[in-house]
Amino acid sequence: MSTATTFLDPAALMRIKSLELRAKVVVEGLWKGMHRSPHHGFSVEFSEYRAYVQGDDPRYIDWKVLARSDRTYIKKFEDETNLRCQLVIDHSKSMKYGSQSYTKADYAATLAATLASFLMKQGDAAGLTTFADGIEEHMPPRNRPGHLRRIITELERPAKAAGTSLDLSVGQLADLLRKRGMICLITDLLAPIEHLEKQLALLGAMGHDLVLFHLMDRAEIDFTFEKSAHFRDAETGAERFIDPQIARESYLKRLQAHRDTIQAATERHNVEYHFCPTDQPLEEVLFDFLSARQRKKASKRVAAA
Amino acid sequence: MRTNPSIPMNWLFPLYLAGAAAIIAPILLHLRRRPPQDRVEFSSLLFLDAQTPVPVSKRRLENWLLLLLRCLALILLALMFSRPFVQSESTAPASPNSATLILLDRSASMRRADLWKQAVAEAEKQLKAAKLTDRIALAVFDRELTPLWSFDEDRHTPANRLNAIQTRLASLTPTWNATQLDRTLIASVPSFDSSTTSLKKRIHLISDLQEGTKLDALRTIAWPAELTLSVHRLDTATNDNLSIALAAREQEGSADTLVRLRLSNTRDSALRDFTLAWQGAPKSDAITAQIPPGASRILTAPPNSTNATTLTLTGDTHDFDNRIFIAPPQPRSVRIHFLGKDATRDEASSPLYYLARALQPTATLAPVLTADEKLPTQPTDILFIVGNAPAEGLRDYLERGGFLVTVPSDATLLKSLLQTDLAVTPDTSDDYRMLGEVQTEHPLLKPFADPKLRDFTKLRFWKHRIISDAGTPARTSGLETLATFDNGHPAILSARIGQGTLIVLASGWHPADSQLALSTKFIPLLYGWLAAAGFSHDPAATLLVGDALPLDAAQVHTITDPENKTHRLKPGETFTSSQIGLHKVQSAAHSQIFAVNLSPEEGRIFALEPSKLAEYGLKLSSASEPQNESATTDQRLTASDTEQSQHLWWWFLMGLLAVLLLETALAGRTRSALAS
Repeated sequence: MSTATTFLDPAALMRIKSLELRAKVVVEGLWKGMHRSPHHGFSVEFSEYRAYVQGDDPRYIDWKVLARSDRTYIKKFEDETNLRCQLVIDHSKSMKYGSQSYTKADYAATLAATLASFLMKQGDAAGLTTFADGIEEHMPPRNRPGHLRRIITELERPAKAAGTSLDLSVGQLADLLRKRGMICLITDLLAPIEHLEKQLALLGAMGHDLVLFHLMDRAEIDFTFEKSAHFRDAETGAERFIDPQIARESYLKRLQAHRDTIQAATERHNVEYHFCPTDQPLEEVLFDFLSARQRKKASKRVAAA
Repeated sequence: MRTNPSIPMNWLFPLYLAGAAAIIAPILLHLRRRPPQDRVEFSSLLFLDAQTPVPVSKRRLENWLLLLLRCLALILLALMFSRPFVQSESTAPASPNSATLILLDRSASMRRADLWKQAVAEAEKQLKAAKLTDRIALAVFDRELTPLWSFDEDRHTPANRLNAIQTRLASLTPTWNATQLDRTLIASVPSFDSSTTSLKKRIHLISDLQEGTKLDALRTIAWPAELTLSVHRLDTATNDNLSIALAAREQEGSADTLVRLRLSNTRDSALRDFTLAWQGAPKSDAITAQIPPGASRILTAPPNSTNATTLTLTGDTHDFDNRIFIAPPQPRSVRIHFLGKDATRDEASSPLYYLARALQPTATLAPVLTADEKLPTQPTDILFIVGNAPAEGLRDYLERGGFLVTVPSDATLLKSLLQTDLAVTPDTSDDYRMLGEVQTEHPLLKPFADPKLRDFTKLRFWKHRIISDAGTPARTSGLETLATFDNGHPAILSARIGQGTLIVLASGWHPADSQLALSTKFIPLLYGWLAAAGFSHDPAATLLVGDALPLDAAQVHTITDPENKTHRLKPGETFTSSQIGLHKVQSAAHSQIFAVNLSPEEGRIFALEPSKLAEYGLKLSSASEPQNESATTDQRLTASDTEQSQHLWWWFLMGLLAVLLLETALAGRTRSALAS
């Protein structure tokens, strides 16, 4: 990949202590790149003007345009038109795992901060929800000065250690999010996913745009252990004696099945699915995400037309 | 450390070696560590199934270097406690053969009863017991060791050694010598030559082990650890023995001096009565008395009416030490001539008067003083001249070895004798003179070397002559100053002329000249001159068997021993008496009789315990003890000694500490590596 070389190595990025700065580095890089990008001008949602019709609130008339062109256009309320993005972060113990210098949680926080930063930069609202075995913290989407700061502070806070309870959390989330918007679920999905499909279907039915960032460590993907040892489950604390030489094959097979199930479920429920190994540059993830949004939007327009 | 297969490692406490089995502990511990205690944190065990840990049989040892070090430490600990030592070649004989030296006592005490027969029988028994591959040597001893059959001879002709040794033994009888066991044993150690190094070394000591034997020198040596001594003590039926020896004799003995004798009785003797008599003397002269067992007493000899030379003690069972030989008084005549009138012999003012009274016969000297105005026709030993005398013949006399004492009145005599220009002038001062410096270390003034006699401060000289050379110092004329007056003039001078001696006195001894004749210095001075002229008045020393006879090295001697054998000795040869009894010594000058007696120590026949020798550091293996039991004890003792001298455990301790240090360092490094 020619672009990959220009992206920041996540390990190098993670060495920046400040999460805010990290997010800024990624977003700035992306913004700069965008000017030369063939996908010029795209954004999550851009505001539009429409001709004033009787009954519209005159408060929303764009007086500047009227003065310039003598036409009356209504500027859409930002609150109405802008994307409401809820970042849902998995704070379970399994996220604390990382074979490299940083954990999946670090990666998830950076990703979330980058998304929030990016969204808020272009005027969208971002909120944050963290969950483990239930909803831990919930900040509704806003686009106010200082809100990004709050999100980042929240992200920087050490996570409460608990197991993943995806179905319960998604259920609660559905109660909390009344307004339609985009839900970015950042999780390692290391939990039984029988109920996941149902929850995804619920959120989809509520009109939310669902994006799933599936984080996995490289060690989890390839299972590159050499020595036999007692493997301890980060979430449950259970220990099992594992000889990686013997266990690898079945592990990989079962992991693949797991991923296939997730992929199938997401496809069925029109959930945007991003598989993110934690050694993947964040810009790339962001770029993929944006490209996907663009494609989705295009397809929507085509569908609408 | 050198580990040679021929030098085996031995252990003082081999049981501790079992402690080395403790290495099983670290091995097990290292095996037990194998089911990995290391935990790997993993995000989820969702896709992993539990597996059974590796069975024990498939476990591999971990940290083998650490394990090795720990095992080594335990082994070293066990080795250290078992007190190892390297048995050197000499202490561990490579072959079962032995090198045996048989020491046979033939001192005078072996003359008792059938001791000698017993000794020879015992020696033959040992000889027969020896294998053909064993090395045998035989030596007899009394004062010293006399080899009879050496290891070297034995190596060449082991087959006929029994016959050869028997033949040699048959010709031997006990001597009259005293026993010096210490010297013998010390001398016997080197007889184990290089050919016996690989053999088990042993000495068979066949002796009566009397208490009179000398052992002190044994303290001066370190007895070789590999050499064992078997003592075969020979005993007689009874130890009833009285012995007699000369007690100290008075130095100034005259013919009728008392002879003091020391009598002693053995400790376990059953006898008390004895009779002491001169040989051939009538019974009435004998002393009959009692002496209790273990006691000794001093007696004076009974009156010697028959001029016998042998005192005999009777009353005990063993008579080898019952005789004392006393040489008869044999004064030597000294011919002294005074050149002057014989008539003055009884005039108190004449020099001859004092000479005649000073030269009295003693036990050893019989001076014969003649006086004449002419030189005597017969040979004269010492010549005295006071005043002037014709010089003819005197220089010849001196050159032949004469001894001349002169008090010159003028220089004529001295000039012709010394053939130099001399001046003799009377001292004119009225004051008396005293002796200033006296060279008491000079041989001619030998008696005054004794500090008791050195005081010359009361001696006054009324009249003296100044003897001086005309121009040349007196020394160049051959005259040596022995004493000077307080004014620095010579008082006594001497010169060697040919073989003879000239003594010049500046002042006479008679009262007209000085107080010398009346002083205590006169007689010692005269006898000093007699001694210088070859007439010593020392009494003959008490001689014991083995002592060399005091002979004049310059003379030819003919010695007749008590068995009437004659020995001719060239000048310088010595004669050591091996017999008790009277030895007649005939030389050109005179004849003498020396009495040689048995050593008094030889009469102390009370038998010592063989263990007494062990006190002197000798390694005993007594023949009476069971052989192997004593051998084991010996071995253990030797092993203990060897171990203590080698201190190998110390090295093991050092090694252990080093291993432990290494182990600590390695374990620390492994741990820190694990932790990181």
